[in-house]
Amino acid sequence: MRALSIRLGWVLFAAVLLLVLLGPELAPHSPSRPVGPPFAAPGAVGLLGTDHLGRDVLSRMLHGGRPLLLTSALAALVGSAVGALAGLFASLVAGSRRWAAALVLRPLDVLAAVPPILVLLLVLTALPDRTGLVLAVVLTGAPLTARVARAAADQVLGRGHLEAAIARGEGWGWLLGREVLPLVAGPLLADAVLRFVSAVYLAAAAGFLGLSGTDSDWGLLIVEALPGVSLQPWALLAPVLGIALLAVGTHFIADGAGRRARSVIA
Amino acid sequence: MGGTDLAGRPGPMGGSGLLGRTGPVGRELGAGWRALPRRLAISALLLVLLSFAVFVGVDLLPGDPVTARLGATSGPERIAQVRAHLGLDRPVQARYGDWLAGLVRGDLGTSATGRPVGELLADRVGNSVLLAGLAWVLLVPCSLLLGVLAAWRRGRVVDRAISTGALLLVSVPEFAVTGGLVVLFAVTLRWLPAVSLVPAGTNPLLRPEMLVLPVLGLLLAGLAYATRVIRGAAVSAVDSPQVEFLRLSGVRGSVVLRRAVVPAVLPVAVQVWLITAVASVGGAVLVENIVGYPGIGQLLVSSVQTGDLPVVQALVLLLGAAMLLALVLADLAVVLLTPRLRTGAVR
Repeated sequence: MRALSIRLGWVLFAAVLLLVLLGPELAPHSPSRPVGPPFAAPGAVGLLGTDHLGRDVLSRMLHGGRPLLLTSALAALVGSAVGALAGLFASLVAGSRRWAAALVLRPLDVLAAVPPILVLLLVLTALPDRTGLVLAVVLTGAPLTARVARAAADQVLGRGHLEAAIARGEGWGWLLGREVLPLVAGPLLADAVLRFVSAVYLAAAAGFLGLSGTDSDWGLLIVEALPGVSLQPWALLAPVLGIALLAVGTHFIADGAGRRARSVIA
Repeated sequence: MGGTDLAGRPGPMGGSGLLGRTGPVGRELGAGWRALPRRLAISALLLVLLSFAVFVGVDLLPGDPVTARLGATSGPERIAQVRAHLGLDRPVQARYGDWLAGLVRGDLGTSATGRPVGELLADRVGNSVLLAGLAWVLLVPCSLLLGVLAAWRRGRVVDRAISTGALLLVSVPEFAVTGGLVVLFAVTLRWLPAVSLVPAGTNPLLRPEMLVLPVLGLLLAGLAYATRVIRGAAVSAVDSPQVEFLRLSGVRGSVVLRRAVVPAVLPVAVQVWLITAVASVGGAVLVENIVGYPGIGQLLVSSVQTGDLPVVQALVLLLGAAMLLALVLADLAVVLLTPRLRTGAVR
């Protein structure tokens, strides 16, 4: 059952990924030019019908996935890296210099207490574009990654090879990169996948709120489809299902990766 | 979100949600009651930090809301005019000081639309509290029932259905869930209106059919997370020696559940319920916007879109305060429900 859900997650994720990456090449029409009457039902014009301006929903779906996916991946990667560095640093110095660890972790704790959607709206108030979106995702994700990284590194700390390296006088780069990172890579990877799910959520939410700075983000497709939902439910259902498949697929993978990582650490 | 958070629910905002970020249940609880003043002080400090971040953060970011909203086509005089009108030409410390002073007097400032912020909020807060409150009141019994039932029937069909459903739902953003509900109930079945256009100034309770979709959308997202966590706690309770002893002694299942399993689950469940209440802050913002429900979420988003800073600042602070209060209540509830912490007995 468990192995099945992970495998299902990978299949789902791979299928969505492939569609999204190849999307713009596969799209039968331009995402911005009308091809038929507004809110036309599927079949008459395109496979998924048209939107409020008569544009082909399928083509907009295929064009909108790539920016959503790339922004989320970039934001998750940067957030994970920043959080992991902070957490590992805090863990390594906590023994000798408590204040240094506190200096890094306290501000992150404050940040973690604010609901991500508030962080998103605040950052987008000042920076209403993709940069703001990435920054918001990094700000909401890094504190949680820092916690995971610190907890994982704490379990590694007392081990002999690390003590030996410290005694040899190895530098920070060596300690982090060669002695600690390989042992905590599992939990960090599982965490990065979760950060990606959150990033998709926030990026789609920003699109939904009209703040993502792209023209055919899946979140934006949802909000554009709302007024005509009784005429053309597919324009709404397609982006909803796209986001759901991406989120569920990734979540299954994270669930499996997390379990495997925990069993290694334990 | 599988024990972590997405979207803020221990997860997106959020998994969605936006929680999970509160750390292990029972953290810092060793001191029982004595920890409470400290928690309150920390929360007050957090609130001050948040208000400061709202001001200085928006100021520090390289963008400028006024320029961004007006667009590059407006001349510099026009931009300077709007900035002066909003008071943005003064140094950030001075603006922050004025704003704090006003807050103490109960004055939240004036929106860019010219109306007092307090007045703008007053119309909306009640609507949002009603929406989130209804979802929460339904969430509490449903999540307890589903979580305990799944644990009691672990590995059976009921458990599989509940667990799989929760796992699927927990990762999908609530605005996507609500979108799906709109298609199902408003378009396919035609039972409910697709948009919840409650006329301004009227009570949404007069049009209960408008509330069903937003409440359901908000409920489902929180329910998935709460059920997963409660099932986890209930599994350990069901596996405990006490429960095994009661069952071997021939005590009826319903009695074992009521007397042993549910009380053991409650401290965790109460925390999860309060955390879900916090997470639903983020969810409500999105859900209100998808059905056009006139609450603070909709106001918040339109204010962000128009760069109406005074409204954004007031709303973020209000939501932040509500969230911190819920977290303090969660800690308090754990103390109340755990005899060892309540009595201060040390073992």
